[in-house]
Amino acid sequence: MALTGIQIFKMTPKKNCKECGSPTCMAFSMKVAQGAVDISACPYMSEDALAQLSEATAPPMKTIKVGAGESEYSLGGETVLYRHEKTFVSKTRYASSVCTCMDDAAVDARLASVSNVDYERIGERMYTEMINVAYKAGDAAEKYVELVKKAAATGRCLILSCKDVEVAKAALEVCKDSKPVLNGADASNYEAMSAAATAAGVVLGVCGADINELYDTTAALEKLGNKNLILDVTADTIKATFANAVMVRRAALKDTDRTFGYPSIVNVAKLAKDDKAMQEALAATFTMKYGSIVIVEEMDYAMALPLYGLRQNLFTDPQKPMKVAPGIYPLNGADENSICLTTVDFALTYFLVSGELERSGVPVNLVISDAGGLSVLTAWAAGKLSSTSVSNFFLENVEDKIKSRKLIIPGKVAVLKGDIEAKLPGWEVIVAPLEAVQLVKFLKDMQANGQL
Amino acid sequence: MTLFDRVFSGNDAVFGLTEGAIDGAIAQYGEDKAVKFPETAYSIPCYYAVTGTKVNNLKELKEALGVVKTLMTRENRLNDAFMSGVATALCAEFIEVLKYIDGAAPYAEPCYGHLSDAIIRELGVPLVTGDIPGVAVILGSAPTAEEGVALVKSYQAQGILVTLVGGIIDQCAQLGYKTGANVRVIPLGKDVTAVIHVVSVAIRAALIFGNVTPGDAGSLMKYTMERVPAFVNAFGPLDDVIVACGAGAIALGFPVITNETENIFRVPKSLIVQEDVSKFNATSLEARDIKIKITNIDIPVAFASAFEGEIIRRGDMQVEFDGSRVDCCELVQSKEMSEIEDHRIELIGPDIDEFEVGSKHSIAYVVEVAGKSMQPDFEPVFERKFHSYINCIEGVMHTGQRDMIRVRISKDAFAAGFRAKHIGEVLYAQVKNEFEAVVDKCQVKIYTNPEDCTKVRHETAIPAFDKRDERLSTMTDESVPVYYSCIMCQAFSPSHVCVVTPERLGLCGAVSWLDAKATNELDPNGPCQVITKEKIIDERIGEYEDVNEAVRKFSQGALDDVSLYSIMEKPMTSCGCFECICGIEPFSNGVCIANREYAGLTPLGMTFPELASMTGGGVQTPGFMGHGKHFIASKKFMKAEGGIERIVWMPKDLKDQVAERVNETAKDLYGIDNFCDMIADETVTTDPEELVAWLTEKGHPALTMDPMM
Amino acid sequence: MPFNCKPQKFSASIKAVDLGTGDKKVTLGGESVFPFYSFDGSEGNGAKVGVEISDMGLDHEPEAVKAYYAGCETMADIAKKAEAMEGADFVCLRLEGGDPNGADKSIEELVAVAKEVADAITAPLVVEGCKNVEKDGQLLPKVAEALQGKNVLLLSAKEEDYKAIGAAAGLAYDQKVGAESAVDINLAKQLNVVITQLGVKPESVVMNVGTAAVGYGYDYVISTMDRIKAAALSQDDKMLQMPIITPIASETWAVKESMATEEDAPEWGNLDARGVSMEVQTAAASLVSGSDAVILKHPQSVATIAKMIKELI
Repeated sequence: MALTGIQIFKMTPKKNCKECGSPTCMAFSMKVAQGAVDISACPYMSEDALAQLSEATAPPMKTIKVGAGESEYSLGGETVLYRHEKTFVSKTRYASSVCTCMDDAAVDARLASVSNVDYERIGERMYTEMINVAYKAGDAAEKYVELVKKAAATGRCLILSCKDVEVAKAALEVCKDSKPVLNGADASNYEAMSAAATAAGVVLGVCGADINELYDTTAALEKLGNKNLILDVTADTIKATFANAVMVRRAALKDTDRTFGYPSIVNVAKLAKDDKAMQEALAATFTMKYGSIVIVEEMDYAMALPLYGLRQNLFTDPQKPMKVAPGIYPLNGADENSICLTTVDFALTYFLVSGELERSGVPVNLVISDAGGLSVLTAWAAGKLSSTSVSNFFLENVEDKIKSRKLIIPGKVAVLKGDIEAKLPGWEVIVAPLEAVQLVKFLKDMQANGQL
Repeated sequence: MTLFDRVFSGNDAVFGLTEGAIDGAIAQYGEDKAVKFPETAYSIPCYYAVTGTKVNNLKELKEALGVVKTLMTRENRLNDAFMSGVATALCAEFIEVLKYIDGAAPYAEPCYGHLSDAIIRELGVPLVTGDIPGVAVILGSAPTAEEGVALVKSYQAQGILVTLVGGIIDQCAQLGYKTGANVRVIPLGKDVTAVIHVVSVAIRAALIFGNVTPGDAGSLMKYTMERVPAFVNAFGPLDDVIVACGAGAIALGFPVITNETENIFRVPKSLIVQEDVSKFNATSLEARDIKIKITNIDIPVAFASAFEGEIIRRGDMQVEFDGSRVDCCELVQSKEMSEIEDHRIELIGPDIDEFEVGSKHSIAYVVEVAGKSMQPDFEPVFERKFHSYINCIEGVMHTGQRDMIRVRISKDAFAAGFRAKHIGEVLYAQVKNEFEAVVDKCQVKIYTNPEDCTKVRHETAIPAFDKRDERLSTMTDESVPVYYSCIMCQAFSPSHVCVVTPERLGLCGAVSWLDAKATNELDPNGPCQVITKEKIIDERIGEYEDVNEAVRKFSQGALDDVSLYSIMEKPMTSCGCFECICGIEPFSNGVCIANREYAGLTPLGMTFPELASMTGGGVQTPGFMGHGKHFIASKKFMKAEGGIERIVWMPKDLKDQVAERVNETAKDLYGIDNFCDMIADETVTTDPEELVAWLTEKGHPALTMDPMM
Repeated sequence: MPFNCKPQKFSASIKAVDLGTGDKKVTLGGESVFPFYSFDGSEGNGAKVGVEISDMGLDHEPEAVKAYYAGCETMADIAKKAEAMEGADFVCLRLEGGDPNGADKSIEELVAVAKEVADAITAPLVVEGCKNVEKDGQLLPKVAEALQGKNVLLLSAKEEDYKAIGAAAGLAYDQKVGAESAVDINLAKQLNVVITQLGVKPESVVMNVGTAAVGYGYDYVISTMDRIKAAALSQDDKMLQMPIITPIASETWAVKESMATEEDAPEWGNLDARGVSMEVQTAAASLVSGSDAVILKHPQSVATIAKMIKELI
């Protein structure tokens, strides 16, 4: 049972010394209760209190860090199974694959492709964060080391998928500073692998023939003192992999079985080799169902555009809607003489409206002002979308850039028309239909009637 | 002769006729002769529905008649009359089916006789959707053909399906009135037995649309009573056979309205005498609870939400009504049904065209409503919508409410023909449409004489407003029988449930107990549901078993229990739209409140957004709670912990907003004067130590109260 | 200590709703576990895949879709080809030409198309209206009437027109009613309540709880479906136990990623591949969230998703 902020507060020294970084003991306690701060940040906790609290406030799933520098990522640390309960915290990371079984040309092409996908979507950089470097049993260690070197040169965080301890050690030698994941422990080699990973200071990936073996091996590793782990839940079949991914996460969060309280790896490249469409279906599936790292063969734009969009949606705070940046968005080749249309900065509204506007083919300047990321009616009710907010934005940011003096406002806030006209002299305010889907006809009619 | 005697005698007569007809048919065709209605899968539908038995030939029909006979009991109880009525209807059906032997086509233009299943399926859909709001069965001859046709026309204009039996058919033909299924005026037949064809429609509708099992007469009658909005208009003189048929109609839940005055017995809501045929329509609709949807508002300008924000400037204004200068008001009043003539719009005083261009005048409009489910508590709910209704009229601007209204009418609207009564038309149509669930009848009175307006304002409106305010301010959690849930914000905060009580409005500040109640009545499946409060668990913290059950249900199991009056024990959850957050301040043993507009730090060491992120999301956070501004002055505000006496800090703006009411409550509860002067704000300090020092200086009561933790 | 697997057993289940008749009849729903949680219990009848076709023919379809239907001249040809698509369980006819703001075809014309399609195929048929509530309120009852005996699903009855469509499809003509709400568990439930209050059997209702393309507010879709399935199974909420059908293609082929030409977005690469990706990934995400059926249109998407479902159950 998680402790409440009040329960934690009772154990604090109540000095408000601010040394923990929070202004008051109460604020600190609330943050600890939320899992936002570790209890050890307070220098004045009694041993007893600390022991009691560490156990109770320890997260059910560890946060594991992989990679270094700009390529460092936090994995895991989730507290809930469904996003509506509380925000998912560590988004799924995607890896492209290279393997000693590939020829040089194929490897070079694959590595070159890694940097192809790199774009921004609603304030978030989207790119292939990792590379899975697979070792095919029997290949020369040097070949693997060379491959690892090449992959490391991209600067991406690496996953060393290698079950041969000696080969793995050799590979670690050349890349351990970049903190790759050593994904190679199983029931037969875990002691040696763990030693290698610990020596190199990297996270160890564990796998098992089935979920029970995975569990036992993880427990054995913990017994060895290694709690810097990731669980590779990939099995022989899609069905078994899905079962593993769900059962591991569920055991950790719902049944607080700490042995499974680690992030997971799902290798969909292995599950659907050479079937790109299936890999995409599975990448989406395992983004939804609990893959911390999802490995595909190659990430291209076609795969990335929906996948990163899905991830961005999945990992948003359910209470904090996504926002787009305020500004003027010229659509369909709009210029300074094109009509303006305004709506709120709630990402969903923006996408809906801009989608319809694009479909209309009519050049429009879509003007987005700050409305607190709320939908039209909510923003209006909260006072974030008002005649003042709209007119101020136009006076400060639009009037000097746009020559047109026609402004279309959302139908749902028709009530603002008069006030906006009063506050924006010279502008003609036109009320749009109530729903975005009606915009296409509305604009086309305006165009046909020569109103633009 | 009693009504019973008339029903029984009519029933006997029809039975005799039926027996004779069947025997005659058997003599003519032999008893194996098939009998059936065309194009139906329901055999002889009424008989099949009532008994569950299909009749295929004359022999079985004769047996069926034996079954009908068993319904004809002769005790003088209501049920005997009803069953004899049903028996009469079944006999009529048998007589009718005999007409169809050998595939005969007994009915010719314009009469339809039996209606096929396909027609019923087609008519059934608009019946279920309410697009056909009712079914009128007109029987006999109206006093004059003109009156008869006028009645048919009045129903037709309302979208009601009209069926005709007997003399009215000829009356329509005589005046050349167009009939037919496509115009929803269906002449059935000239014999009184033809009335069974409309009964057959109602019965088959129950089988097709109500999933009623044939033979389950109870469910059948329940369905026709509740779902088939039919009624009978029977013109006098009525013979016993018609009276017996009428008993059958009443058994199915269809009231009979007649102009017969001789030897008739009034049965409230079932057998109604209305001597004035021109009032048949209104009487019938009221008796059968039929509400007619208003599809277009009869005004010369447009009505749409796009005009809501239109501003009418002085120069464009034809005339203005200004409550800040002269007496004006708008008011909703509930009345008795008998006091209201639906859709009556009355202008008392001069019309707009009698005013000088650009002049200012008084106006008072009173919307009077009545309905079986109408409650005076809904009056302000309707009234609050007037602003939006009137603003949606093209060329009309409305501001303010109650007796502080201003209405401007533009020159363009005036030129288009807009006059005072059109305001009434809009209010009538909108109130009837939007509040259909509770408003059965509505009329509007518009006063434009200054003397009348003064009178209405001071003698009617202001006392009504005062009474309402009084009710609001004296309503307590104890004084009401139920609370309401509100889950309007579950889209953002899935497990959050607000429990709205008179003294604790929704934490968004926008949903009062009265609002929740009205929302529930108007939209029974909507976001506000009734929560009973019968099983108290702990009075101190305000915990009820029924409230817990409701919260569990509406949060889909995410929450087990909540208290209404405690911030420490099982506090109510918060969504994300709370106006304020109240949080425990341990050093002063009190609480701090921050409102959404406040951007700075609180003595808790947290800002409003930080507090919000910890408190929101439908999770219980003991020591912290979201709430509406209005709740701060409530006597139930953290009552379990000692009430508002615990408040030690709130932002200055917020304090100014609530000071008057908070001081009043503190005086009432604790006898403290000017309590707000003891509450710190950001101009005093945001530091917990300084806060305690300041509170000590002021002698704040929280410091010496029992510890909160 | 070995791993102690604790399966989530529910006594409640999603209602099983039959579509179509004869050998090719399909059953939606029936599961008593979360989507694909076969390790917990019965997955019922498994999710189904539908192929979308439109009364507007092929002119506006992506090239690869056009290519698949090459040689088809009538709606009957197209329908036959659709049901033959690898992985297809049913066909969904969208009567988008009915839109008064679009082609504004007459109800008679559209009913004739529905009839032509229904008569041409043996697979179950779903008929989707034109999204204009007024037109659909008139059109879909007529379609329900014309296709009596075919056991088709009519999409969709919404808050505004559920009475006409619910009464016609669910009561008068014994078809199945699709109840469409806008991505909100309470709206979905409320609509089911009022539809069943009309007299429509809960077993005749399939929900479309609203959807989006991934990246376009899809967070709401996920949470709505997660919560509906949780309420249906763990709370035994009977008014949320209807299976969910999700039209995917109509959403995903209308977003920029699937429409921007290669000239407009050269770095994005092949247009057809992008369209398939959007469709496949949105479908996969929907199935994992709780869709009991998805409606797609590209042959590769249909084959891939059908295969994925097969692999997972």
